Amino acid sequence: MSEDRIIKYAEAILAVASAENNGAEVEDELFRFARAVEGSDELRLTLSNAKIPAARRQQIVEDLIGDQATSATTALISMLVAAGRGGDIQRIADQVVELGAASRAKAVAEVYSVIELTQDQQTRLASSLKSATGKDVEIKIIIDETVMGGLLVQIEDEVIDGTVRTRLKQLREAF
Amino acid sequence: MKKRLFLASVTGALLLTFGMAGTASASGETLEGCFLEEWLEEKGHLGGDHGEGGDHGGDHAALHDEELLAEIEKKCIEAPSPIIPELNEVIWGGGAFLVLLALMLWKGFPAVKKIMDERSEKIASDLDQADQTKADAQAVKAQYEAELADAKSEASRIIEEARQQAETLRADLQERAEADIADMRTQAALDFDAARERAMGDLQAEVSDIVVGAAERVVEANLDAEAQTRLIENYINQVGSE
Repeated sequence: MSEDRIIKYAEAILAVASAENNGAEVEDELFRFARAVEGSDELRLTLSNAKIPAARRQQIVEDLIGDQATSATTALISMLVAAGRGGDIQRIADQVVELGAASRAKAVAEVYSVIELTQDQQTRLASSLKSATGKDVEIKIIIDETVMGGLLVQIEDEVIDGTVRTRLKQLREAF
Repeated sequence: MKKRLFLASVTGALLLTFGMAGTASASGETLEGCFLEEWLEEKGHLGGDHGEGGDHGGDHAALHDEELLAEIEKKCIEAPSPIIPELNEVIWGGGAFLVLLALMLWKGFPAVKKIMDERSEKIASDLDQADQTKADAQAVKAQYEAELADAKSEASRIIEEARQQAETLRADLQERAEADIADMRTQAALDFDAARERAMGDLQAEVSDIVVGAAERVVEANLDAEAQTRLIENYINQVGSE
């Protein structure tokens, strides 16, 4: 799908979320769902398979999300799957997050971690990242076991890597 | 033809010389003729004397005949001169000699001279031809010797050239072999270094895998929730301090 169409889908989702008065929550839930789809090839193929009836794919989405997201988020994801955009959910979600943060004059900081960060940690991390990059950021946590420990933050094209995986890699290269 | 004519002339002269010659005698006649001639001559002179003698005269005549015969015999049997020939022999011999001499001067000598000249010319021609042949042979010999010398020189040149080519080829081969050996040594050294590097790399990777694997296991074993929180806190503090 073209980038323009991605942006239009993202803008439409943001408009719906704004109308529902829970834009930030929808962004976060959509982002988390996109990461879950990204981590499962089977799920991504299923949601993007046009041979599976749209109702069946929507049902799968609803079953997966359950009560872990708002109804608005579930309805928006279901709409994307029914429209045959199941394979583009990651790109649309990333665009939604970026456009939402931009509307608040912030940048998106994708934080890869083994465990979930507390709200306090996210606040202090955002403060630290602002002092380091000069940008106000919105933290988006991505659970990734491969980092083994520590954090990896990506803000636009800038990467700040403090993971155990990278330390071990550097140790291996040092030999 | 001339030879035949010359031989016929010589043969005729010889026949004329020896065929016309008669038997040598004092009077130039036969002995019987001599007796007869002398007897008749004496009887002619004594004819008148025989009639005058009668019987008595008969004995005397017989005695006289005997004396006459003895005298005739003495005359006729007288030996010819061993040195001076008879005149007729001198005439015939001289004529034959003159004829023969004339023939010889007229035909014989010119023919002989001609034959001798021809023979001399032939001999001279043969000698000239022999000299020419000898000169030709010497020229051929000289040419052969020159060609032989050229051939020897050419052979020597070819041998020398071949030797030089062989030497050049040997030097090239030796140089190439030495270059190949040097290349092989260099390549062997490079291969050895590469193999050593690979072995060292493999060994280092092996050691690295072992060490890092052990480190990973140690880290994983110790990365509990508290350690994760501590790592996150350290990250937040480090990023904020930069």
